[in-house]
Amino acid sequence: VDERRLKESFARAAAYGDEVALFFYSHLFLSHPEAREMFPVSMAVQRDKLLNALGRIVAEVSSHDTLVPFLQGLGRDHRKFGTLAEHYPAVGASLLATLAHFNGTDWSEDVARDWTEAYAVVAQVMTEAATEDETRNPPSWQATVVGHERRTIDIAVLRVAPDAPLRYAPGQSVAVECEARPRLWRYYSMANAPRHDGTIEFHVRVIDGGPVSSALARSVRVGSRLRLGAPAGTLGLDMNSRRNVVLAAGSTGLAPLKAIIDQAAGLGDPPRMHLVFGARTAVDLYDLADLEKMTARWPWLTVTPAVSAEPEYRGETGTVADVIGRRVPITDQDAYICGSSAMVTATVNRLRSLGMPQARIYVEDFGWSES
Amino acid sequence: MTHANSELLTPERVRLAAFTPARLGRRGLDESEVRSFCEWVSDGLRQLLNDNSMLQAEVLRLRGRLLDGEGKHGVQPEDAHVQAVHVLSMAQQTADRYVADAQEYSRELAGDARMRRDEIVREAKVRASMILEQAHTSASEAAGAVRATRDPVPAAERQELQAEIAYLRTFSDVCRTHLRAYMESLTRSIEEWERAERNGALTARDSALHSSQHVLPRTAGTRPGKGVNRAGRVVPAACSESGGGSARGGRLSGPSRSSRPSSRLIPWPPQSRPTPSSLVT
Repeated sequence: VDERRLKESFARAAAYGDEVALFFYSHLFLSHPEAREMFPVSMAVQRDKLLNALGRIVAEVSSHDTLVPFLQGLGRDHRKFGTLAEHYPAVGASLLATLAHFNGTDWSEDVARDWTEAYAVVAQVMTEAATEDETRNPPSWQATVVGHERRTIDIAVLRVAPDAPLRYAPGQSVAVECEARPRLWRYYSMANAPRHDGTIEFHVRVIDGGPVSSALARSVRVGSRLRLGAPAGTLGLDMNSRRNVVLAAGSTGLAPLKAIIDQAAGLGDPPRMHLVFGARTAVDLYDLADLEKMTARWPWLTVTPAVSAEPEYRGETGTVADVIGRRVPITDQDAYICGSSAMVTATVNRLRSLGMPQARIYVEDFGWSES
Repeated sequence: MTHANSELLTPERVRLAAFTPARLGRRGLDESEVRSFCEWVSDGLRQLLNDNSMLQAEVLRLRGRLLDGEGKHGVQPEDAHVQAVHVLSMAQQTADRYVADAQEYSRELAGDARMRRDEIVREAKVRASMILEQAHTSASEAAGAVRATRDPVPAAERQELQAEIAYLRTFSDVCRTHLRAYMESLTRSIEEWERAERNGALTARDSALHSSQHVLPRTAGTRPGKGVNRAGRVVPAACSESGGGSARGGRLSGPSRSSRPSSRLIPWPPQSRPTPSSLVT
């Protein structure tokens, strides 16, 4: 495979942006109409994902160390959509037709051969990872909602019982699909360490106009059925570290950090943990009651609530970064951060300026699953 | 606002949708209007998807005809395929726009509602602190007025009130004393009961060994350590005055002497208002 030729032909097509993905999917659905029902009504987000994934594959075509794990993850992740090995050739044919169309007269037999070979490798890595995953996991986990609490007007806490055991590491997340929004998957972090009864908690915050979050918070009831994808994400307690821990949570970013605290409680000698839990107003501190119970039970845990948009609040006011700067002396800790991207950036910057090395700061990272 | 089902779903209609506010006393928008609007959007989307799949079928049919050679004189199969792709792409883009418009509309609606909610909460807070302030003012005014009048209560009424206060104070003292005594006697009874249970078990074993001697009367449902009163109700042995598991005679019902209401116990609820002096003997 001529790497330069491959990249150039992709760049020529990618210049057309959304048109490329639009052409690709239309071509795929025309030649394989049955594939259409694997996708949601609106394909806008899907097209972005395709272009991002293709861009990454082409950019990393020679760096196997990063590309192979990415493709393996992608292959496993596609199982939840119902993707089978026999779908891959159809996708390859449509991909080649798309690239040929946008390359026009620049398309040649040689370029076609490069792409055929490259795609064969990609498909092989993905299907092998998927097949290997079949021996351990179902394509997706059916689950029943066994608890649904509206904590605030915008936040609900769901307790979910998967039909088959779902193994995950605290800090990870899964893609969730509900019956009211078929084929729309959104990632939610597990808010507890694995339990004996297998139940999982999710903290759902309604995004204005967000179809999945609003359905999960408002229309889902006890007894509703959900589908869960394979656990993903690399945020997790560093078991080799003997340092104490600072946890910074913005709103429902609390979920994976709560799972990490839950996990630490199961250790023989848990590190000292200081959680700063931030929200706009006091009412939005939706999980304080539970956190208070945890601090009462576990002397190594400290929780400081922070409220940013309610000056008359009696506790700490300001952003999570502000409150960390004021209340948490940074000495020699590890830090785990989860929240909105603005909150994560501000908190990372603050910790860096307080002298914490970048290597000790762990943030929520969805990696391949978001692309 | 209402929508006839026949009205065509357009981005403009969705964007410009207006709702009447909810009935008096409820926040937000008229729920039935919003519901019927959502139904209308959903019907429109379904129609669109149906059209989309019909178009897709039509495209496939045409493509088939082309490939079968019927259209040999017109466009080339390859071009036809590309045209079909473009038709489908257009349909897809239309669907995407509908969904995006609906989402945008719901985003605006939710954002609006959030702003109004915040306003309402802010107003309520201001009003609450105003009410509190007013209450403070009127309370201190009232206190000032009381201090100003030197002795507003007539002597007779005053005496009556003092008598009532004295009665209530004594009443609560007596209640507490009796409660404490009752709790103590209960604890004692339980201890006696436990002892009796142990002794009774031993006695029962003894009686089994010496079956010729009747120690306990054999009554159905009787177990060692328990007595049976005349009504057949099982009462704990410790409640009998002999306390030792004997179950003879009709003295067994009712609590032991220590917990029986004494003459000092005031009736509850008080039948008639006793004078303070009758309470403490």
